[in-house]
Amino acid sequence: MSLTINTTINGTPVSASAEPSTSLLEFLRDTLEYKGTKLCCNTGECGACTIIFNGKPINSCVTMAADAIGAQITTIEGLADGDTLHPVQQAFIDTGAVQCGYCTPGYIISVKVLLDRTTKPTAEDIEEAVSGNICRCTGYTKIVDAIQLAADRMAGRS
Amino acid sequence: MDYFEPKTVSEALALLAQHGAEAKVIAGGTDVMVDIKYKEEPGCLVNIKKLPGLGAIQANGGSLRIGPLVTIHDIETNALAREKLPVLWEACHQFASLQIRNTATIGGNICRASPSGETLAPLLVLEAKAKMAFPDGEKTEPFTSFFQGPGKSSVGAKGLLTGIDVPYPAPGSHGVYLKHAVRGAMDIAMVGVAVMVTTNAAKNSLQDARIGLGAVAPTPIRATKTEALLRGKPLTAALVKEAAAMAAAESSPISDQRSSAEYRRWIVEALTRRGLEQTWKAATGKEVV
Amino acid sequence: MAKAEYTVLGTSPARMGGVERVIGKGIYGIDLALKDELHGGILRSQYAHAKIVSIDTSEARKLPGVHAVVTAVDAPDVRYGRTYIDRYMLAKNKVRYMGDPVAAVAADSPAIVKQALKKIKVVYEPLPVVIDQEEAMKPEAPTLHDDMPLPKNLPEGVKVKNVCSYTVVHVGDPDKAMAEADVVVDEVYETKMIHPQYLEPRIAAAQVEPDGRITVWANAQAPFGVRTDVARLLGVPLNRVRVLSTELGGGFGGKASGITSGAAIEPICALLAVKAKRPVMIVLDKAEETISTTIRSGAKMYIKTGVKKDGTIVARTGKVVYDAGAYSGFGAMAGARCTNMLGGWYLMPNCHIDGYVVYTNKQVCGPVRGPGGPQAAFAVESHMDSLAAKLGMDPIEFRLKNTPKAGDKIVGVPKLRDVSLDETITTAAEKIGFKQVGAQFVAPALGKNQGIGIATGSWIESAGPGGGAVVKVNEDGSVTVHIGKIDMGTAPRFGIPLIAAEELGVPVSDVTVVNVDTDASPWDAGTVGSRAIIVSGTATKLAAIDARNQLFKMAASQLEASPDDLEIKDKQIRVKGTPSKSVALATIATNAHNVIGEVIGRGYCDNLAMMAEEKAHGNSPPFTTHACIVEVSPDTGNVKILKYVAVHDVGFPIHPVAVEGQIEGATAMSIGQALCEQVVFDNNGRTMNPSFVDYLMPTINMMPRIETTLVHGYPGAGPYGAKGAGEIACVPPMAAIANAIYNATGVRIHKLPLSPENVLRGLKAAGKA
Repeated sequence: MSLTINTTINGTPVSASAEPSTSLLEFLRDTLEYKGTKLCCNTGECGACTIIFNGKPINSCVTMAADAIGAQITTIEGLADGDTLHPVQQAFIDTGAVQCGYCTPGYIISVKVLLDRTTKPTAEDIEEAVSGNICRCTGYTKIVDAIQLAADRMAGRS
Repeated sequence: MDYFEPKTVSEALALLAQHGAEAKVIAGGTDVMVDIKYKEEPGCLVNIKKLPGLGAIQANGGSLRIGPLVTIHDIETNALAREKLPVLWEACHQFASLQIRNTATIGGNICRASPSGETLAPLLVLEAKAKMAFPDGEKTEPFTSFFQGPGKSSVGAKGLLTGIDVPYPAPGSHGVYLKHAVRGAMDIAMVGVAVMVTTNAAKNSLQDARIGLGAVAPTPIRATKTEALLRGKPLTAALVKEAAAMAAAESSPISDQRSSAEYRRWIVEALTRRGLEQTWKAATGKEVV
Repeated sequence: MAKAEYTVLGTSPARMGGVERVIGKGIYGIDLALKDELHGGILRSQYAHAKIVSIDTSEARKLPGVHAVVTAVDAPDVRYGRTYIDRYMLAKNKVRYMGDPVAAVAADSPAIVKQALKKIKVVYEPLPVVIDQEEAMKPEAPTLHDDMPLPKNLPEGVKVKNVCSYTVVHVGDPDKAMAEADVVVDEVYETKMIHPQYLEPRIAAAQVEPDGRITVWANAQAPFGVRTDVARLLGVPLNRVRVLSTELGGGFGGKASGITSGAAIEPICALLAVKAKRPVMIVLDKAEETISTTIRSGAKMYIKTGVKKDGTIVARTGKVVYDAGAYSGFGAMAGARCTNMLGGWYLMPNCHIDGYVVYTNKQVCGPVRGPGGPQAAFAVESHMDSLAAKLGMDPIEFRLKNTPKAGDKIVGVPKLRDVSLDETITTAAEKIGFKQVGAQFVAPALGKNQGIGIATGSWIESAGPGGGAVVKVNEDGSVTVHIGKIDMGTAPRFGIPLIAAEELGVPVSDVTVVNVDTDASPWDAGTVGSRAIIVSGTATKLAAIDARNQLFKMAASQLEASPDDLEIKDKQIRVKGTPSKSVALATIATNAHNVIGEVIGRGYCDNLAMMAEEKAHGNSPPFTTHACIVEVSPDTGNVKILKYVAVHDVGFPIHPVAVEGQIEGATAMSIGQALCEQVVFDNNGRTMNPSFVDYLMPTINMMPRIETTLVHGYPGAGPYGAKGAGEIACVPPMAAIANAIYNATGVRIHKLPLSPENVLRGLKAAGKA
C-alpha cells in the first residue's frame, strides 16, 4: 500500500510516495535521489545515515519514511551556502579528516548539530555527539582536529 | 504489509484485536525497522506515534509520570528526571548513540522486553509501575512482575503500554546504573546493574537496598536474596563481598557470541560491589570499610 | 612547509576530491544506478561443508519479475584463484563455507530477488565441518578439496591434511644454537579472524553493450584484477571486458577482488547481465559481507627463542598454522608473509620456521591491510617482552641490543642499506614518557593498574608488480594523470597530484588524477600492498618528466636555448636565470598539435630494476615503533588506552597529512583487533556476529589520540625516497597493548582479542583477580 510523504528537505517541500516498510534512508536515496546520506550497516549502528530531523540528529535507516510527513529534514546536501562550504565541511577538508569520505556526511551532520549548540565542546560533548558515528579510515584523530577547528572558526577564534 | 496510524488508544486496541499475531506496534522504530528489513515484514504495522497524550513527562506529586512515547533523549534532557531519578537517567545516558536516543522511546525499550534493555533494571529498582490499556479496560502492574521472558511482557499481543509511573525514591536514597560493555554506550549491555540504597537517619546502616540486574537472566530481575542479606545492616567490606557474590549467584546468564555465562557472573559480582560502594559513599560520605 | 629543494612535495594541500565528499555527491559504487537496471542477489550456502546433490531453480524462474537465475552450470567450467586455482564463482558439486555463493538471481526489485532466492531449492548432503586450522591438519579431519594436491615442498615424512601451501624459513643451525643458549622461552600465540569492515558495501554492476562487450562497474581496489576474473570466468577475451572503477568507501584489502579470489561478485553480476540481457546491479548487505567476503585470517604461532645471558638472540624456531579459510584466496601469500615475519626484524643468526596454510570451512583470506604481519608481530613482539622478562632485562634495552645495522641481514632481507629501527625505538620511548639515563630507560610515573608497553614492526612493501602512468598536458597547460590505482583516501589523490605538479611546475589545482577505466588506464595490480606511492608515484614522476622533456624540446628552439637550460614556473617555460626569455606553457602544449599531436608523458615503475638495486645496495624497509600507556580494570578486565604514540620511518613523506592519516587509521584498525574485534563461529561454522550490533569496531570514545612522529633520513625505493605507508601501522598495536597490559598486571595474554573477558580470565588464572 502506498503512502504519500509530504515533507521538507533542506527547506524545499517535496512530495513522493513510499511503502510503509520504506525507511527514510531508502526514501532519501532511492526515491528522492539524495545520495549524500549513506547506506552502511542499515541497523542504526554506524551513523553513516545521520540526518537532522526536526532539529535532532537521527539514523535515517531505522526511521520510517512515513514518519517524515510534516517533518523538517536537513541532509548533507543542505549545508553549503551555494559554493561556500559550511565551516564544518571546510574544517574536515582542511585537517585531512576526509580519507575515503564515506562516513563524512554523517559525521558533518552530527558535528554541525553539536557546534550549533556550543562552540566550546568538551571532550564529553564530542564523545556524546559522535560516538554513534564510526570511521574506519582515520582512527578519529584528525576528525577531532576538524571538530576543534570548526568550533574555533565558528566562534571567531580562528 | 498493511499500515495504520490510529488516532486514539481504543482505535489502536481495536486494530491489535482485529489483526492478532499479524500486527506489530511501532513507535520510534529503532528495533522494529531492523526486524522488517532482516526478519519478516509483519502482516500489519500499527504506528502509535500519533496517539495523543503519550509523549509527556509530568511531575505528579511524589512520582514522575513518563509517557511511553517519550524518547530516551527527552528523559536525558529532563532536569526533573536527572535530579529525581538518577538511576533511570544514567541508563538513558548510556543508551546506544545520540542518534538512537533521539528516536527510541522508553515504551519501545520496555515492550521489546529484551533482558538487556537498558532502562529495565532501573525501572525494577525504582519500583515503577506500568499502566496498560486492554480492550476490556486498564491495568496497572509493577515492572517487577511485568516481564515474563525474552520478548514477553504483560502487554502481550493485545495490549498497549500507556504510562510509566516512577515514584521518587525515599529521602536518603542513592542509586547508580552501571553498564558493562566492551566499547561503551554503543554496545548492547553485556551486563547491567542498577543499585539503589536507602540509609537510616543516622546514616550508618541500610534501611533498604535494591539491586536490579539486566542481561543475566531471561528477564531483568531483582536480586531479592541479596537485598534481604543487606537490609538493616551497616555496609562493611565483608558484607559487600558477600552480597556481590550472592548477586552473581542469583543471576542465570547464558553464554552467547558476546561473552560466556561465567564472565557475566564475574561482572555481576564486580558491578554489584562497585554499585554498593558508590551508593554507600554517596549516601554517607564515607568509604565502605 | 615543503622541503627546501621542492615546491610542493612535502606539503599537505587539501585532498583532491574532498569537496564532493563533504557535500555528499553520489560518487561511490553504491550510488550508481544504471538505466533499466535489474537488481541482483546471491544465494549462499546454508552449510559450512556439504555436497550439492541438486539445485532446482524452476520455481524461482517462474516468479514474475525474475529475468535470470544462474548456477555453476550456466558458466564455463573454469575456476579461479590467486595462488592456487581452486574456486568456482558459483559453487559446483560442493560448498565449503556458509557464505559460499551457490546461485544468483536478477529481478525487477530487491523484494522479488529476495523471494526468488527463497524459491531456489538446493539439496545438500552435509559433511563434517572443521573450524580450527590445527584440527583441519589432522588425519581424521574432513577433506575440503579432494582435487587439490598437498604442497610438493612439504618436509619428508610430514603427514597432514588440508594444507594448501607450505613455507619454510631456515637460517644457520637453529637446533645447535638453541641448545647452546643460556635462556630459552617457548610460547604459543593466537589471533582470530577479523573482517576489514569497510563502510561502503561492495557492489558490482554490469551491462552488455550493443557491440557485445561487457562493461562492469565495481568499487574494487584492483579494477584490472576484476577484468581478469570476469574475462576468465565468462570465457571471453580481455579486450571484450571493460571495468570502470567507482569511488570507494574504504577497502583495506577487502575489496581487492582478482587478488583475493575472495568473493567474485563482479563475474557473477556479469553473468547475470549476459543471461538477463539487461543491466544488473548487485549490492551486498554489510551482514552478508561479514559472512561471505574476504577477511584477515587467524593464525596460531609457536615461537621459541634462545638468547645469551647478555641478551643476544642466538636462535629461533617456530611454526605458523595460518587459516586460509575455504579456498586458498590470498592465504598462501599471507601465510608465507606471516611465516617470514615470525623470524622478526632483529638480527637472527639461526632460525627455522615452518609455515602451514590450511583450509577450513570458513571465510577466505584476503590481502587485508598488512596480510600476515600483524599476526606475526603480535607473537614476535609479545615474545620479546617475555624474553626480556626472563632475562631480567629492560624490554627497550633488549630490543636495541638486537637491532640490525646498515649492512646486516634479517629474515627476508638479505642486505639492509640503512636501518631506522633504532631511531624509531628511542623516539617512541621518549614520546611515551621514558627518560633515557645512559643505557637505561626509566618509565614515567604511572597510576594504579596502569602499564606501559612498546612494540616494533616492519612491513616490506610487497615485491609486487610494477605499473605505469600516463601524464597528458592539455593545450591550456592543465594536466590529466592516468594511473591504474584507485583512490580510497590513499596516494592517488593525495601524493600523486603533488608529484605531477612538482615535475611539471604547475599548481596542484591544475592537475586531475582520473579514475580507472581498464580501456584507457595503464595496467596496475591495484591499490594494495603499500605500493601506491612507490609504483604509481615513480611512474607518475617519470611520466611527468617525459612530458616535461617533450615540452622543453619544443620550446627550446623558440627560446633559442638548450632544453637542459629550461624550467617551468608559474605556467611559463623559461630559461633558467633569464626569466624574461619565456613562453607560456599553454602555447607550447597547444603547438604540440602540429608537432607530435599531444604531449603524452609515459612512465613506469620498473620493478625488476628496483629489485636489482636493492640486491646490489641493500634494502631500506620502513620500520616503526608504537608505544602506549593503558589502564586495566582489575575487576572487569576492561582496558583503556590512555596514551598512544606511533613512530614511523616513511622515507620521505610526499603528503605528510596523508601519511599521518594512513598511520592513524591503520593503528586504529589494529587497536580494534586488539581490543574488540573478532568473527565468532558456532560449531557448525555459522558466523554468530555478522552485523555491527555484535561485530564491534572501535568507536571514538574508546580511541586515544594517536600521536604520530615521522623519523627522517632513511630514503626508500619510492620517488624522492618515499616508502609505502598504507599498511605498516597495522603491525605493532596488538603487541604494544598486550605488553602494556603485562606491564600493568604481570599477566601475559597469548590469545586475541585482549577483550575484557580474556583479560579478566588471564588475571583470574594468575590469581590476580
